[in-house]
Amino acid sequence: MWQDFNSYLLEYPSLDAAIYYFINLPLVIQIACVFIVIAFLATLFAYGSILVRRFKGGRRDRRMSVIIPRIDTLLTEHIILNEGLSENIPIDQIQLPLEEFRIPLLRSRFGKQMLIDRIVSYKKSFTGSIGALLRQLYLELELDKVSFKKMKSPKWNRKVQGMIELTDMDMSISDVNILPLTNSKNRELRAEARNAYIKLSKNEPFKFFDIVTEPLLMWDQIELFKTITTTEEISIPNFARWVTYSSNKSIVSFCLKLIVHYNQQDAAPAVMRLLENKDHVLRANAINCLGKLRYEEAEDKLVSIYSNQPLNCQIEILKALGRIDTGGHVLFLRQEFLHSSDFDIRKNAAKSLIKTTGVSQDLIRELIDTGTAENKLILKHCMNPLIKF
Amino acid sequence: MRNILIIDDNDIVQLVLKKILAKEGYSVDIAINGKEGLARIGQQPYDLIITDLMMPYANGFEIISKIRQHPMGKDTPIIIISAITNEDSVLEGFKLGANDYLKKPITGRELIIRVKRLIDAQVSRAENI
Repeated sequence: MWQDFNSYLLEYPSLDAAIYYFINLPLVIQIACVFIVIAFLATLFAYGSILVRRFKGGRRDRRMSVIIPRIDTLLTEHIILNEGLSENIPIDQIQLPLEEFRIPLLRSRFGKQMLIDRIVSYKKSFTGSIGALLRQLYLELELDKVSFKKMKSPKWNRKVQGMIELTDMDMSISDVNILPLTNSKNRELRAEARNAYIKLSKNEPFKFFDIVTEPLLMWDQIELFKTITTTEEISIPNFARWVTYSSNKSIVSFCLKLIVHYNQQDAAPAVMRLLENKDHVLRANAINCLGKLRYEEAEDKLVSIYSNQPLNCQIEILKALGRIDTGGHVLFLRQEFLHSSDFDIRKNAAKSLIKTTGVSQDLIRELIDTGTAENKLILKHCMNPLIKF
Repeated sequence: MRNILIIDDNDIVQLVLKKILAKEGYSVDIAINGKEGLARIGQQPYDLIITDLMMPYANGFEIISKIRQHPMGKDTPIIIISAITNEDSVLEGFKLGANDYLKKPITGRELIIRVKRLIDAQVSRAENI
């Protein structure tokens, strides 16, 4: 066939002839030809893009190998080993040799970015006077303008980059610029904006809780929790405010965790009101919170609502009784342990019975002696201090 | 001249600590990971060791424990410099034999004072013996 085709093309060498020949091929062959052409072009494109990336990466590495040592030398000579630091001169009175940093190598966009990256990295490792002088240099070289410009970029990754730079350099960003981003559709941008807002806003770091419409995902909550608990000098509000008024369930749930972390006993009445909430997940979170706060006033209420609750809430109530540990509902726990048909209920009732300090060893002994084989196993399991719930 | 060994995989920390300590008159060696650090300790005695906790090959705790088992490192003062700030890690560091713990980000002046204090104490202890 190919010989025919070749001789045909030699005889009539034109595109029309090739198309004419292709049209007259069997359908299977036509499909195969199309796939071959697509695969060939895709391979060419893939190799091409790899080559371009490698070339760009190589060029970047070569430029970096020249710029980075130069920046390191400048930073160590003029910032780290600055004479003013050893003479205890106030940071704002130290004259920085800015001209040294305005060399042609650092004037380009790439050079400026390398300088920002390096200053930010140094700032992360050093605080005190060195950190303050690094910030001073960042400001005097007007690199903050470069970072602010990134915040206005339409590209979300540039925005995130600018925000991280400004946060790491302790620059304040106005609410107008950052608050809308805390509710962005883009998950990374949203998370970074929230982290930045908590770090940078000295008065109301949790203001964005008021406007959040998107749910706080579990990973967002972990990141925020880390930021909140590791940021120094953060003003912690009473989280009962959002427990009472927020319509965003994930915010309420997150605030319950923060109430426990900061042991905000004042928030307990607001958490109690959540026991009337229609959402059983929120109710379970509220019960968990009350138990961890060891809010004794909640105990009777929890026992009274127990029978109307779904399984997850019942388990949380049993756990809460063990945590609150007043010993006032030992009989209730005993009854649940002995008569419940659900294994989880019996296990958590047993654990709470053992945790309750008012329960005598005689009762536990009696339960072990008179219980079924399974109940004995549960009790022994719960008495093992190495097993946590 | 007193010898100090810095074990840290962060190039900025290596560079800056070296500059700061060299300015104070110390001779500084750098090891970029725990494995290299332990190899260096076997080659020559040091007056002080500064180590990070999170590093490739061997973490700071393993390094401290091995230094304390090494005849040339059992009495050498060790400073941990780490971004890990939880109480358990700090206590674990001291339990294994570290003499001081600096939390990142660090300040240059604080580092110099702590290094000087530990080296002076080590020198006076050696003189008394």
